[in-house]
Amino acid sequence: MTQELRAALAAVQKPGRYTGGEPGCVYKDKDKVDLRFAFCFPDTYEVGMSFLGMKILYEILNAREDIWCERAFMPWVDMKEEMEKRGIPLYALESKDELRAFDMVGFTLQYELSYTNILAMLDLAHIPFYAAERGEDMPIIVAGGPCVCNGEPLADFFDLMMLGEGEVQLPAVCDTVIQGRKEGLSKQEILRRCAQIEGVYIPSLYDVSYLPDGRIQSVQSRDGAPAVVTKAIIRDMNTQPLPTHFVVPMIGAVHDRAQIEVLRGCVRGCRFCQAGFLYRPMRERNADMLSEAGRQLCENTGYDEISLTSLSTSDHSQLETLLDDMLTWTPEEHVSMSLPSLRIDNFSQSLVEKTTRVRKSGLTFAPEAGTQRLRDVINKNVTWDEIERTCTLAFNAGYTSVKLYFMMGLPTETMEDIEGIAETAQRVVDLYYKNPNKPKGKGVSVSISVACFVPKPHTPFQFVPQDTMESLHEKQQHLLRSVKSRKISVSYHDKRISFLEAVFAKGDRRLAPALCEAYRRGCFFDGWDEHFHFDTWMEVFRDLGIDPAFYANRTIGEDEITPWEHLDYGVTKDYLIREYHKAQQAKTTQPCNRACAGCGANHLLGGPCFDYR
Amino acid sequence: MITVRARFSKTGEASYISLLDLQRVFQRALKRSGIPVWYTQGFNPHIYMTFSAPLPLGQESVAECVDFKTEDENYDWTAAAQQLSECLPKGIDVLRIEPVRTDSSAIALARYEITYEPDWAQRAARAYSTFAAASSASVEKKGKRTVKTIDLKQYTDVESARETADGFILSVFLPAGGELTINPALLTDYLKGLADLEGAVPRILRTALYTKNKEVFV
Repeated sequence: MTQELRAALAAVQKPGRYTGGEPGCVYKDKDKVDLRFAFCFPDTYEVGMSFLGMKILYEILNAREDIWCERAFMPWVDMKEEMEKRGIPLYALESKDELRAFDMVGFTLQYELSYTNILAMLDLAHIPFYAAERGEDMPIIVAGGPCVCNGEPLADFFDLMMLGEGEVQLPAVCDTVIQGRKEGLSKQEILRRCAQIEGVYIPSLYDVSYLPDGRIQSVQSRDGAPAVVTKAIIRDMNTQPLPTHFVVPMIGAVHDRAQIEVLRGCVRGCRFCQAGFLYRPMRERNADMLSEAGRQLCENTGYDEISLTSLSTSDHSQLETLLDDMLTWTPEEHVSMSLPSLRIDNFSQSLVEKTTRVRKSGLTFAPEAGTQRLRDVINKNVTWDEIERTCTLAFNAGYTSVKLYFMMGLPTETMEDIEGIAETAQRVVDLYYKNPNKPKGKGVSVSISVACFVPKPHTPFQFVPQDTMESLHEKQQHLLRSVKSRKISVSYHDKRISFLEAVFAKGDRRLAPALCEAYRRGCFFDGWDEHFHFDTWMEVFRDLGIDPAFYANRTIGEDEITPWEHLDYGVTKDYLIREYHKAQQAKTTQPCNRACAGCGANHLLGGPCFDYR
Repeated sequence: MITVRARFSKTGEASYISLLDLQRVFQRALKRSGIPVWYTQGFNPHIYMTFSAPLPLGQESVAECVDFKTEDENYDWTAAAQQLSECLPKGIDVLRIEPVRTDSSAIALARYEITYEPDWAQRAARAYSTFAAASSASVEKKGKRTVKTIDLKQYTDVESARETADGFILSVFLPAGGELTINPALLTDYLKGLADLEGAVPRILRTALYTKNKEVFV
């Protein structure tokens, strides 16, 4: 470590964020590898180190002798300032080499409001923002992750984007770069070759033209790039080993535990949920493979907690077997299990017992909407009876706190639906006091957390305008007035943050200058309340002549060409339109393991997704 | 059941691991290492560990120690040191593990090497000679609740001060342990004001712990 870096570390909070060296992190001789990859997470170390995707790809890339993958995170405000003041460029934690020394710099796009952090990281690394301004001496800047499904606002900044699952695709891209470099090809030539890899999108090879009213006229590919890019997918999850060697953070990460990904995708088809559509079809891993990987992971990391992660863990067809398998080794190894993302409708007595054997914590459920009608609109197939059954089970088992997640601003929503949120919470409170088996002498606490709905690309609600900030404000006030019990606490999201999220979620290439300008005027860490400068953003839009409502609050026609029209995640637009129409009639769609609704994603597997018998 | 003591170094990157985090790091490392450690028998079993005279953040050491319990009195502790090292982060190396002979309450003193890099060496030497010539050097020592004014000269036992190719190196003994601990940063902060050392970041390395009679603590 240089004297400058030590001086910076002496001046900041939590210097452990910036040192690397954690157990499990990989060091290599940089002269003996063909490609150096800097995996960048555009948020803090604590957030980034919780992210499973980074752990998966770090292990896959570093398993190869010819590649060294290192990590970089967005420095917190104090460290950013120290680095700028002392002229320390952004470096990767392992080698402490600056990002410019790398062959490839990859960002994961997890959240729209981290876009300015990407610019901040490039800026700290002394790398020009625009791909067109970067010469042959600059690393190839790439992106992956869910927001790549409409990465258009960032299209001008990236050389290459990767749609879908990176386990096979990212090494293929690295190979093409290594090979191209050996042949002495230019960056453009290498990128053109990469365009032939499954799920690879080279934004510079697509020309976008616009209609006078601002909508898109056409998107044209050039130089042999595919007209439509289809996401990469692991067809059989059992062929893809789980990571068994996490880098174990020493300062507490947000999710500081072992994780095994039990399944990918989701069968539910909740119409607001982007992940539910992006990761289709749902694919499971076998119980024995999972249990064994979990055991190895705990052994290698020393973690005493393991989480069974996925979009909907209780939908795993062998979940009880898996829990039984894991219970054969977890108690003697002093490991406790946790199951996030449980569903209300298949939460069973034995599930409660198996997971609460070690520790009781709060229970979290997401009914998402306050009335049955609206839950049908969004296809969240949860009924009050199921909520009642689950809460009774949980109260019998000794739980005393319940957290309920809702959204407001959903399509077709009325004030009645808002009152329904308060009523649902009240009925849960009543349920507790009516329960003869409730824990003695303890009260119940029900907290409701209400997010503002953000319509997202590739979902049936992509066509829907976001509720205006005025309307969301009224609804929030109405909810507060509707809650009568002190046992219920209410929290809700900042509607202005949700508005900006909608703008960038559905944005197009014309937003790139706004990102640059907002960053220049001091916007970064936008997702952190204390650093969110809404007024600055609005001034930037005004000064650049951009109408943010065009993106957030406008109905998109069913025949309109969206900015993401050429990005294919397997689900057809016809299907999205069909689901959109069913939503307007409050008609539900069955989970896809029960009946195929014909979304089109089965083509990615080359056959039916489930064995329907 | 016996208590054993692992002596370890904590340098470079590892010097930024706080005591709280260090406890978790050792908890996991001991678990991974397969060393037969004793777990508390409560509802939430964990390894019972005690760190002696922990270091402030950013300072380095080749003389740290942690005590833990085991029921296996005949374990091969030479091999254990190697096993444990392999499970620890960069910058932490276990030097040896052996059954405890002296209680950690016997720690009274620590030796430090304070190094100013060559570009700061002259100014550091000047600051030091001012300090050496002064009759007293009062600084404010902040406790958990109180702020006390103490005379640094009274507690600082200088072994040597020398200019070398690596810079200006000051070797000092300062009180450490349960009764009184003087953070060497109090001394470097004091020196800062004496010869415009504001931008300097001296390396502080703890080289050994001693008992009251200046016997090396083991």
